Amino acid sequence: MSIIYVLIPIAILFVAIAVWVFFWAVKSDQYEDLDREGINILFDEDLDLDNRPTKQDKVSENDK
Amino acid sequence: MNKLTTDTTHCFHCGEPNPKGTTFNVNIKGEDRRMCCPGCEAVAQTIVDSGLTSYYEHRSENATKVTALIPEQLSQLAHYDLAQIQEDFIKQNNDADVNEITLTVEGITCAACAWLIEKQLRQLPGLLFINVNTTLHRVVIRWSKDQLKLSRILTEIQKIGYKAYPFQINQQEALYNQQAKSYLRRLGLAGIATMQVMMFAIALYSDFFSGMEEEFIQYFRWVSFILATPVLLYSAQPFYINAWRNLRNKTLGMDIPVSIALLGAYIASAYATIMTTGEVYFEAISMFTFLLLLGRLLELRARRKASETSSNLLRLLPSMATLIEEDNESLIPAKTLTVGQIILVKAGETIPIDGTILTGGSNIEESMLTGEHLPVHKTKQESVFAGTVNISSPLTIRIEKLAHHSLISDIIHLQNSAQQNKPRIEVITDLVSRYFVGALLIIALFTYIGWSLIDPSQAFWITLSVLVATCPCALSLATPTALTCATANLNKQGILIKQHHVLETVNKINHIVFDKTGTLTHGDFVLLSSTIYSHFTKQQCIDLASQLERVSEHPIALAFNKQQKESIQLDDVINMPGQGMQANYQGKTLKLGHAKFCGINNIIESKELVIYLTYEDTLIATFELGDTLRESASAISQYCQEKHITTSLLTGDISLKSEEVANLLKLDHVTKGVTPEGKLKHLQTLQQTQQVLMVGDGINDAPVLAGAHVSVALGSGTDIAKNSADVILLGEDLTKIATLYQTARKTTSIIKQNLGWAIGYNIIIVPLAITGHVPPYIAVIGMSFSSLIVVSNSLRLLK
Repeated sequence: MSIIYVLIPIAILFVAIAVWVFFWAVKSDQYEDLDREGINILFDEDLDLDNRPTKQDKVSENDK
Repeated sequence: MNKLTTDTTHCFHCGEPNPKGTTFNVNIKGEDRRMCCPGCEAVAQTIVDSGLTSYYEHRSENATKVTALIPEQLSQLAHYDLAQIQEDFIKQNNDADVNEITLTVEGITCAACAWLIEKQLRQLPGLLFINVNTTLHRVVIRWSKDQLKLSRILTEIQKIGYKAYPFQINQQEALYNQQAKSYLRRLGLAGIATMQVMMFAIALYSDFFSGMEEEFIQYFRWVSFILATPVLLYSAQPFYINAWRNLRNKTLGMDIPVSIALLGAYIASAYATIMTTGEVYFEAISMFTFLLLLGRLLELRARRKASETSSNLLRLLPSMATLIEEDNESLIPAKTLTVGQIILVKAGETIPIDGTILTGGSNIEESMLTGEHLPVHKTKQESVFAGTVNISSPLTIRIEKLAHHSLISDIIHLQNSAQQNKPRIEVITDLVSRYFVGALLIIALFTYIGWSLIDPSQAFWITLSVLVATCPCALSLATPTALTCATANLNKQGILIKQHHVLETVNKINHIVFDKTGTLTHGDFVLLSSTIYSHFTKQQCIDLASQLERVSEHPIALAFNKQQKESIQLDDVINMPGQGMQANYQGKTLKLGHAKFCGINNIIESKELVIYLTYEDTLIATFELGDTLRESASAISQYCQEKHITTSLLTGDISLKSEEVANLLKLDHVTKGVTPEGKLKHLQTLQQTQQVLMVGDGINDAPVLAGAHVSVALGSGTDIAKNSADVILLGEDLTKIATLYQTARKTTSIIKQNLGWAIGYNIIIVPLAITGHVPPYIAVIGMSFSSLIVVSNSLRLLK
C-alpha cells in the first residue's frame, strides 16, 4: 500500500501538466471555432488529384 | 456530404430552382452543371479555375445565391484603401508593414466555405495569415501593406460568392470574450481537480462503512487539500468578487452565501486536515465550484453569441464626400471635412454631414431621422442633415457643423442619457434570491447560537453543514440555465437577445409602442393603385411610366421598375428635378410628374403621393404611390388585442397616413409629428404607469429604444437603433415579437419550477442539517442531484 505515497504525487504531476495544456489551448483560441477543424482534414489531399498545387500555393502554405 | 448530384432543375451552386429558358453552365469535374443566374455561374467558374472544386464535394450546405457584381460596387471597395478610412478598423501589428483586420463575412454556411475562402486568399501575394471562423462568420487577415491592398482582398472574397465587410466590434463583446476565456480556464481547472478530489473522496467515504487506517485517511485528506486549493483560490474567484461587490453596494445576492459556504467549508476542512479532527468537505466545494462555473459560462456564451451576431450587423461602410475646391472635384473621406467647405452630393447619395444647400433643389428622404414617409423638397439656404438621402438631383452643400456636432450626434447623446435612466422591472429571481439569502444567513446564525448553548464543540461543524447542505447551488443555477437555453433557442429563430432581463420582463409588458415608417410599414415606395383615363391599357401606362423613370434614381422609379413588363422606345428623355420626367413617345410629348408640371388643374386629394401621366397634354393615367404595411403588422396587432396589450403608434410623420395605419391595424393610440426628444418624453410619461415595449428601426427611435423598459429593433433598421435595443429581430417579421412573448412566458414558468424545486429541497434538508444529521457525502449527493434536476428542466427550453 505504501506505493501510493509515490504514485499519487506522480498523478498530481500529470494533473498539473493537463491543466497547463488546457490553459495553453484556451490561450491559443482553440475553443473559438469548434465546428470547423473536424472537417478540415478532408480537404487538401483531394486537391492534388485534380489540380496540382502551384508553386505559389506551396509558398503560402508555409506561411500558415 | 457529397452533393455531386446530376439535378438540372436546381442551381448546382446555391440550390435554388433554375428559371426556365436559361442556360448557365459550368464544367465541374468533367460534367456540365446548371446554374440559376450569371452570379452563381461566375462564382462557380472562379472556384473551378482556382482548382478549388473539392469545395463542392465536402460542403454540407448549399451556398447562398450570388447576385452579380455591379462595377460601381467594386469601385466602392477601393475607398477602403484610403488610410483615413482604414484607421477605423485596421489594427497595426508590431511590425509596421503588417496590417491586421477582422471582417464579417456574409454567406458562410459550412466548414467547406471556410476552406474555400482561405484557399482562395492564400494565392494572393503578400497575404501572411488568414483564419476563417465558421461559428462567428468572421475572418482574421494579416497582410503586408506594401504588397497587397485591402480592396483586392475584399474583391477576391466577393469573386467566390461571399461578401466581406469591416465592422465595429462593440466593446461589450470584447469584454465578453475576455470573460469567457477566463471562465473557461477556471472551469477547466475546477473540472480536472474535482475529478481527482472526488476519487479520494470516494476512498474516504468507504471509511464510513468499513474503516480505514488513520494513516491513509490523513494522507488522502492532505492530497484532497492540495488539489482543492487551486479550485478555491483561482476558479472560485468570480464569486468572491461578486459577493464583495454586493456587500459594498449593500445588496444581498446569490454570491454571498456561495462565498460564505465555499470559504467557510474550505477553511474548516483545512483546519480539520491540519489538526486531524472534524470533517472535510473538499469534494463538495470543488464540485460546487465546477457546477456553478458551468452555469455561468453557458450563460455568458449565450450572451456573447447574441452580441457577436449583432456586432456583425454593424458594418463600417466608407463614408465619402465629393469636395469642391475652385472647380476641382475630389473624393475624400467624410470625416476629414471641416466647416465652411463645399461638397457635392449627387442624386442617390447619402448626405455625409450637416450643412445648408448652396445651389440646387432636391427631394430628400429623411424618414430615418424624422419618420416622415414622403421625401421632403428642399432648396437653397435650407438645412440638410447627415444620414439623409438625396434623391432627385445634385446639390452643393456648405458644411455647417462638424461630424461630432451633427444632428445624429445629438440624438446619440440623447440615447446615452436615456440609457442611463432606463427604468428596471423587478423580476422574481431578484426577490427570491434576496429573501432566500437573508433567510439562509439568519438560519445559519441561529443554528450556531443554538448549538453553542447545547454543545459548543459541535456548533461550528453543524453550522457549516447547514451552509453546505442548503448550498444555493441549485438555486443559483435555476435562472441562468433557463435563460441560456431560451436565448439559444430564440437565437436559432432569428431573435437576438442582447439583454438577458428581457426574457423575464417581457411578460410584464402591457403596452407596446410601434414606430411607423420602416417598422409597421416597409419604408419604400410601392405602386398602390393606378387609374386610367384613356384607351391605353393599365400595363401600357405602367410600362410607359417606368420607361420614363429608367434614368431617375428617385425611389419612385424603383416602385415602377418592379412592375414593368415590356420596354418601350422613348426619345429625348429629360429629367426635371423636383418636378417630373418628360420624353417623346411616337413623336408626341409624354410627361410624368406633379400636377403642376403636367398642367393638370383638378388635383386629386390623397394621403399618398399622386403622380400624373399625360400624353399630348391630356391626362392618361394617375398613379398612387405609398408605403405599404408589412404583412406581419396586422398579425402582431391582432395578437396584442387577444392578449389585452395596449398598442400605440409613435411617429415623427405628420401626414394623415399615421391615422390610416392606426385604423387599419386597430391600434389604440396615435401620437404623430414628434421629434426624438418628444418621443422620449412621451415614453417616459407612459412608463410612469405602464410597462412599455418599444419597437423601432430609425435613427430617431434610438433614444426611445434606449429608454424603454424593453426595446426591440428590426434587423433592417439603422445601426444606432440596433445598438440601443435589447432585442434585435433578424429579418422583417414582426410576429417574432409574439414568439418572444411565448418563449418568455415559458422561460418564466421554468424558472419558477426550478426555484420551487430548489426551495423545496432546502426545506427538507435544512431541518436535518440543523439537527446534525447530514454527513458530507449526503450533502454532496443531494446537491448534485438537485442541480441536475434544475439543469435538465431548463434544457426543455431548447426544444
